[in-house]
Amino acid sequence: MIHESYNVTEENELVKASLDGDKNAFGEIVNRYQKMVARTVKGMLGDTVFAEDIGQEVFINLYYSLPEFRGESKLSTYIQKIAVNLTLNEIKRRKRFFSMFSHKANTEMYEFEIPDHDTEERREASEIVNIALLAMDPKFRIIVTLRMLQGYSTKETAEMLDLPIGTVLSRLSRAQEQLRTILEKL
Amino acid sequence: MNKMNPSEIKNLMMSSLHQDTDTSEIPIRMEDEGISYNFSEKFEDRVLDKLFSAGLTIKGEVEFVKYMNFAFSRIALTGVAAIVILLISIFLMQGSLSFNSILGISDSYDESIICLLTGN
Repeated sequence: MIHESYNVTEENELVKASLDGDKNAFGEIVNRYQKMVARTVKGMLGDTVFAEDIGQEVFINLYYSLPEFRGESKLSTYIQKIAVNLTLNEIKRRKRFFSMFSHKANTEMYEFEIPDHDTEERREASEIVNIALLAMDPKFRIIVTLRMLQGYSTKETAEMLDLPIGTVLSRLSRAQEQLRTILEKL
Repeated sequence: MNKMNPSEIKNLMMSSLHQDTDTSEIPIRMEDEGISYNFSEKFEDRVLDKLFSAGLTIKGEVEFVKYMNFAFSRIALTGVAAIVILLISIFLMQGSLSFNSILGISDSYDESIICLLTGN
């Protein structure tokens, strides 16, 4: 659904109108930022119905937290932070759930097995990216997702994750090692 | 534009993790390679439906919780009042609020309890 009257509206006007109960204004916010949220959520959780649910939850949380949005940061940053937090919480929740049924509680429960593949056949680019992402440790996966799929710089990634730049830099180098190992198998 | 081969895609992925890489162009290159993420059709409608129909449910739930809180406080107050009255009456009848008085056996001797229980 595209709301033509809102196509060129500034985001602070959209926020104000949404706070005044304008359903179409909030619809336009969803319309503008759903792709950005999809990249984070689906990059982290894979292309599943659960990712779709988390995506919806991001906008529902946004709606209820809009009164607290003071406009000090961009709306996109605010939404992205909600998406990152909800996605990481979902991964933690899944890890807790799986640890109840497995003796390997302290191992990488979320570790994704790389599917066997005929080496003669070329994998699609999207398949390589998705498999590699899901095979990564979530704390590295989020960094790859934010940089590769959202185009954030190191500083922006640190802000998004509420981490010091030093921590992000160290995770970057460890993520490189892990990604290299995964990509060698693909 | 020529499609990247798998090794080029892998290099692009690796380059996104180099500290000095300008990452702003990487998502565009990924999109060009068909690596794009979207929610299903009518995603926006589903969010709005959930939000605005959920509003009614949430309102209903809030009303119910308010009613329950009110009912609970009434029941709790009545219960406390009953306990206080009971304790006062025990004190007036038994002269103390010991455990035995509360059980109603403060002036019973062991023998009388045995008689009471055995009937002899």
